[in-house]
Amino acid sequence: MTEAIKNGPTWVGTSLPRKEEDRLLRGRGKFVDDIKLREMTYLRFVRSPYAHARVLSVDTSAAEALPGVVCTITGKEVAAQTQPFIEMAPGQGQKIRDFPLAVEKVRYQGEPVAAVIAESASLADDAAELVQVEYEPLEPVVDSEEALLNKSILHEEAGTNQVWTGIWEFGEVEKAFQEAAYVVKIDRMHFHRFSSTPLETNVVIGQWEPKEDRIQYWCNNSFPSFAIQFIAAHLMVHIDRIRAQTSDIGGSFGIKITSYPQMAVCALASKKAGGRPVKWVETRSEHMTASAHGNERTFRDTRVALDKNGEITAIASRHIDDCGAYPRYEPLGCVIYSQVFCGTYRFKNARIEFTQTVSNKCPVGPNRGYSRMQHLWFLERIVDICAHEIGIAPDEMRLRNYIRPEEFPYTTPNGCVYDSGNYPKMLEVAKDLIGWDAWQKKRAEARREGRMFGIGIGTTLDSGTNNFGQSQIVDPNAPFSGNSQGANCKLDIYGEVVVAVGSCPQGQGHETVAAQVVADVLNISPDMITVRTGFDTERNVHTGMSGTYASQFVVSGLSAVHGAAQKLKAEMKRLAAFVLKTSEDDLEFGTGGMGPEVKAKSTGKSINYWGLANIVNVNSAVLSPELQDVTLNCRYIWRANFKVPDKEKKYGNLTLTYSSQLHIAVIEVDRDTFVPKILDYVAVEDCGVAINPRIVEGQVYGATAHAIGAALMENCVYDAVGNMLTSTFSDYTPITSMNIPNIKYGHISTPSPFTYSGAKGMGEGGAGPIHTISATLQDALFGQGIFINESFNNANSIFRSLKYREGGQLAQSVTLEKRV
Amino acid sequence: MYPRSFHYHRAGSLKEAVTMLGQLGKNAKFLAGGQSLIPLLKFRFANPEHLVDLSFIPGTSFIKEDSGAMHFGLMTRHSEIEHSALARRIPVLHDCAAGIADVQVRNQGTIGGSLAEADPSGDWANALITLDTTVHCLGANGTRTIALSDFVTDAYTTALAHEELVTEVVVKIPPKGSGGAYLAFKRAAPVYPSASVAVQLKLAGDVCEDVAIALGCVGLTAIRATEAETALRGQILNDKTVATAAEAARAAADPQSDMRGSAEYKRQLIVALAKRAIQIAARRARGEKVEGAHLYA
Repeated sequence: MTEAIKNGPTWVGTSLPRKEEDRLLRGRGKFVDDIKLREMTYLRFVRSPYAHARVLSVDTSAAEALPGVVCTITGKEVAAQTQPFIEMAPGQGQKIRDFPLAVEKVRYQGEPVAAVIAESASLADDAAELVQVEYEPLEPVVDSEEALLNKSILHEEAGTNQVWTGIWEFGEVEKAFQEAAYVVKIDRMHFHRFSSTPLETNVVIGQWEPKEDRIQYWCNNSFPSFAIQFIAAHLMVHIDRIRAQTSDIGGSFGIKITSYPQMAVCALASKKAGGRPVKWVETRSEHMTASAHGNERTFRDTRVALDKNGEITAIASRHIDDCGAYPRYEPLGCVIYSQVFCGTYRFKNARIEFTQTVSNKCPVGPNRGYSRMQHLWFLERIVDICAHEIGIAPDEMRLRNYIRPEEFPYTTPNGCVYDSGNYPKMLEVAKDLIGWDAWQKKRAEARREGRMFGIGIGTTLDSGTNNFGQSQIVDPNAPFSGNSQGANCKLDIYGEVVVAVGSCPQGQGHETVAAQVVADVLNISPDMITVRTGFDTERNVHTGMSGTYASQFVVSGLSAVHGAAQKLKAEMKRLAAFVLKTSEDDLEFGTGGMGPEVKAKSTGKSINYWGLANIVNVNSAVLSPELQDVTLNCRYIWRANFKVPDKEKKYGNLTLTYSSQLHIAVIEVDRDTFVPKILDYVAVEDCGVAINPRIVEGQVYGATAHAIGAALMENCVYDAVGNMLTSTFSDYTPITSMNIPNIKYGHISTPSPFTYSGAKGMGEGGAGPIHTISATLQDALFGQGIFINESFNNANSIFRSLKYREGGQLAQSVTLEKRV
Repeated sequence: MYPRSFHYHRAGSLKEAVTMLGQLGKNAKFLAGGQSLIPLLKFRFANPEHLVDLSFIPGTSFIKEDSGAMHFGLMTRHSEIEHSALARRIPVLHDCAAGIADVQVRNQGTIGGSLAEADPSGDWANALITLDTTVHCLGANGTRTIALSDFVTDAYTTALAHEELVTEVVVKIPPKGSGGAYLAFKRAAPVYPSASVAVQLKLAGDVCEDVAIALGCVGLTAIRATEAETALRGQILNDKTVATAAEAARAAADPQSDMRGSAEYKRQLIVALAKRAIQIAARRARGEKVEGAHLYA
């Protein structure tokens, strides 16, 4: 390892190579599947080939007779000894009974109906083939609008396919429409279902010691504090009897949050196997069909009011979100979208009727850009379509509608407070980077030759550090609000600086950035700091909101680390002042010949960290009585300053920070192959103060690649009877380096006034490329009379639209009503 | 998933491999590079009781020129062909080899295995059918040579008997003044193409003296677009004749709608690929160096 070098006045702001890289790139990471335990058994699920069917019988006898099979477990057995999982929806949604193995019905293709546990993974595969399940197929529902008709109901006990519905209405919507100079109507837009494809799939080892009545998990769930709350209630055990640990995680992107049903099965299986540990390693096909997908959303009957300058004055629309077969983390997404209710725009009047429905598809989970990207895409589509209809250039349209830089902190119509931002500046930087004027000229030339050539802009937000009080908008009785994270900072017995946090990073570089923060507090090198990441309920640095999700570590995690480091420093000062016989003001933190130390400026005498740690840990008789409370082992819990939102009005601040991104793309649609070829691409990012600019840049590239994939390649396709047609990489085609254009990266910084460091959370990225590629294709295809009303577009779909347009079969409707 | 358990056998010679498969019977299969078979085993779509591995047989991986023909061994890997200066002399072969799936597949997959698998979306059969290609086989009754056009008989079906294997693929080197190109359209590196077109032609001045055009992934086997060939043979190559040939190729294609695209879109792709492949082949016939292989969405 090369020594860390600071390239500015502080470690914060330095592009420090990641501390974890050496371990991970050499294959020395420790992932759950690397863990081998004595008497380990292996679990394989038996899954439904049907999207919707009654389970008539499950016969496990042949599987149990196979030598090497330890036991089997069925949905009936699970239901007999557990409670259904907590449902967050109130009312009818509350009546949904969700068990980790199907009991009476299966509701999506790939739903587990039984599990076999064997001495080896391949024996478990053999045994799973021997389980006989008899099904009676039922009418599947694969379309959300169809689902709302309740012709075929997934959860009979709920009596409806609707999970939740609510209205967000702010300002004077109808008045704005009456006074509008223009009204644009868009009948239907649709945001497609896609997911994430982490290198490491879901993996769990569960062990339920019957004698100790204690459950242990080694898992890669990315929000374990949430998962164990669900599991404890389901298994009816005290939560302190559950130990959950994470180690290295090979990507999550949010969707590993909802692996708790599989975790529950592993515990139950272990109990039945006499307490032997049970390992489940999800196959790629299982991951594609039955882990979690992102939310699919349909936008109906959208009306937009604009004044004569093209400023949007009101939006009214009906949104239908499809959460798949079981709500699980939903209907939180019904509220989370409203963190970015007005996007980057100033309009004050809006009415959104938001409904969520179940369908016979894989349950959804919080997929990178969770619930906000769908809404931001909707707003960006509106901006481009309206600009086109009233004849304003898309860049000009945005400048007229963006929240102005001087308006921050900006309170949105629904009471969210945007901390900082400068959207016009991002646009300017992005235009410079891409060479806006030159591309405009090339576009004009290309169009003269009849080529389909577009330039498009996408603006997006990445709201981070959420207020769990948003759950009370869904259910007024939900016992959640605020946000918190814990950290511990200590001098160990020999004086090592050891930091522990309750996060479970999956490539975000938490070890590195936490070390940078502590290095500045103590004025030492990050190389001298050990950071322990990974969640562990028995290490006591977590809170009930610990995990790695929702673009927040830089705020919640590092604020906790910073708080703990300051507490430690204060103790070290008291101790050093006593030893060096001087005042605390006289002390200087730094590194001397004997390593990191605290020095008295007046005398030049110093004590190194070993000396300080020695006194407290193994030489405490020399301590004075007034220093008896010094532990050099400091825990700090950071809490966000949130209030519970107004549940009736759905008004209140839901997120602490708002990173923003602005992307510009140039695309030509090939006239022969209809391939939308990206000719140039820019991503400009504003996360305020970047703790580690290189990590930020890397996150932007990753999020950009993921969302380019989503825009052009990655689509979870179901046929009319609920068969998933994209269950392999050959069909789903996750993006690879062959498909990623050269991305030009730019950064501006508007520091957050709400965080100690000025940093804003930024990992999710806001799916800028989905908005941008839609906008760019739109620009290329307006001339052909085509409106981009789908978030997924590939060569095949562009070809189809053009052919349908020619044949007069294209059912798209955008209308403009002009009143000036 | 893990495959069902099977017996693994390692053959020491081609002859031994043939004998083994004959003795092991219907539930035995040859294992060459494994790039099709191993995934089928892991999905448990194929469940043979015995695998006879051909990987350790000496002298089965080579590229050599002999009496006006290029010879490839049963186990010659795609990547060896991709990086072979010798194979570059027939550009259609280089185009094909360099674009098959991704690096890992090319390092492991073999030309013999690919032909014997006869996947309708496979690259080799389509590229090679535009050339004078023969497949040398060894079976219980000794050796035989089969023209490629007679070798692949249907989707996933060849003229090989159960215990018979491909020993060598022999491609006649085209005469001077010839040029070829293989273009496949793929949505992403590791996937099969949505459509592919192979063209091999010979120019005399501007006139196309002879031409072979084949279409891949748009039928149960590679399709020779004979009408398209007729449209070019004896004609001066220009935008009009090329467009006529490409339209004839569209008509010859017989694609199915699937996740790679609708049947109509695949026909459109055939037109686009045919135009480009003919043009690249013609430029190469004139002695130009043109890089070109697979296209990505």
